[in-house]
Amino acid sequence: MTPLLWVLLGAGQIVLAWVFLQTLEHFSGLKADERVASLSLELSLNLFGLAAVLALLAAPLITMRMLSGELRDGSFDLIGSAPVRLAEVIAGKFLGAVILVTPLCLLPAANLALLAGEARLDPGLFAAATLGLWLAALLFTAVGLYGSSLSAQPGPAVLAAFGILLLFSVIGRAESLGVEGLSLFGWLAWNEHLFWFLLGAVRLGDVAYFLLFTLFFLALTHRRLANRRLG
Amino acid sequence: MGSKASPTAVPAQRAWFTDLTRDARGYRPAHFGKAAPTGYRGETMKTLVSVADLSRRFGAHVALSGVSLTLERGEVLGLLGPNGAGKTTCLRILSGNLVPTSGRVEIDGLDLVRQPIPAKGRLGYLPERPPVYPELRVDEYLGYCARLRRVPSRRVGGAVAEAKRRCGLEDAGRHPIARLSKGYRQRLGIAQAIVHRPSLLILDEPTEGLDPVQIREVRSLVRELAADTGVIFSSHILSEVQALCDRVAILHRGRVVYSDCLLADHETRVWRVRLAPPRDAVSLAALACVEEAFPLGEERFRVVLNAGAGAEDLARDMVQAGLGLRELTAERSDLERVFFDLIGAGDAA
Repeated sequence: MTPLLWVLLGAGQIVLAWVFLQTLEHFSGLKADERVASLSLELSLNLFGLAAVLALLAAPLITMRMLSGELRDGSFDLIGSAPVRLAEVIAGKFLGAVILVTPLCLLPAANLALLAGEARLDPGLFAAATLGLWLAALLFTAVGLYGSSLSAQPGPAVLAAFGILLLFSVIGRAESLGVEGLSLFGWLAWNEHLFWFLLGAVRLGDVAYFLLFTLFFLALTHRRLANRRLG
Repeated sequence: MGSKASPTAVPAQRAWFTDLTRDARGYRPAHFGKAAPTGYRGETMKTLVSVADLSRRFGAHVALSGVSLTLERGEVLGLLGPNGAGKTTCLRILSGNLVPTSGRVEIDGLDLVRQPIPAKGRLGYLPERPPVYPELRVDEYLGYCARLRRVPSRRVGGAVAEAKRRCGLEDAGRHPIARLSKGYRQRLGIAQAIVHRPSLLILDEPTEGLDPVQIREVRSLVRELAADTGVIFSSHILSEVQALCDRVAILHRGRVVYSDCLLADHETRVWRVRLAPPRDAVSLAALACVEEAFPLGEERFRVVLNAGAGAEDLARDMVQAGLGLRELTAERSDLERVFFDLIGAGDAA
């Protein structure tokens, strides 16, 4: 068993617990008329938003060695000469990484379970937020896997993945640069879609966005590996 | 080089013939005792690998050009060539890791590009670097390889035990791969290639970097494995190919410049002698058993014997003639001469 999962979960839990405490303290310090959002919403936006950033950082780190390490060490030749399809290889690698990322996505909900008896919270909201977080993590993992297929060195591979994810994070700001009507950029940004989940709204369009781009990056990975055989 | 490439066609035909006599190691064709199959079907049943006109480019660089090979079951084919001749490229194509620019590879009659899954199921491949995962234990790794090669799950345990036994890894099952020595890693690399009992084994320089004892072990293992599989084996060590292979193909600059079967060591008629000076070739040529003699240096000579004469005749005659014999060695082997004629001389020209 790789220690990576424990390191990720441990570090993630420390950061989440800190923000959890901050949010609770801040909310309980406010007077009733100063509270603009419910405690559930405050926790959802803060905890799950932070967890999404953690997943964004973690996914490329988990996936970086999955393909590039194999390409570098020559062990990909073992897979290349085995009677398996490339699509199966990629699906296997993706599922493996998703299994590692999923506990991280469940961490915020696990933290909130501590408040179960103490405060009246909205479990539906947290379920929607957890789903959104997990879908976002799928996208990050697919991008990480694609980055990993780009280089035989894990370092550049993880940087490439971070680059793509950063672009997908800031591209929504193109609208605020003063260009009105460019809603395409807003639509491309993952955080815009996750935001609706954190508000408790599971919109089909947002689910489709995450699944579509996950498949898109997996298809790019397949293309990349198939092209390696062509040289 | 163009004129050097011409010997390829004829010896390759001869190799076909010699393969029909290859029952010495217990191999029997599938149709043994029955009416021999005829025509194309018969050929595919017998021929394990057929490579036709294989070419591979990397951009402007031509790594392989017009390579054609065949391999029968139970045969060891040596791919010989200097570094950079295209051996690894050829083996990577045969293992399905690289798609050829043109040409065809058939394993057991299955096209490797069109039917990759069943074709790859029949091959085992050891790349230049053993494709091992240092963080796994030997048993875990071999179990993974067996499942990757589609060994049914109830037979994985047996397949792993058998592969370990054949490669002498019985005691290493619990060891982490990171702690294995280079020789053991190489054995593990071979074990992963045979764990699913493939009919074709592709080994890319399997003795590279091993010590002499390990080289001997790997060679005898390959010989043993060749009893029931076809083996394609690359090397740049002449003696190794000579010791192991039934047939050799010499690659040079991406082309097969020579392909022939290695027959059992036949008596050489060419010898080298060193005589106490001053001597000349004329006194050597005057001996009864000598057909020709050429000077190679001040005291060294190359001697061609008459048909039927042996080294003992030459030694006796030289001593009787009082030529001051200091050294008598056989001229280098046929393969070595062919190799240097094709590659060394080609480069020097």
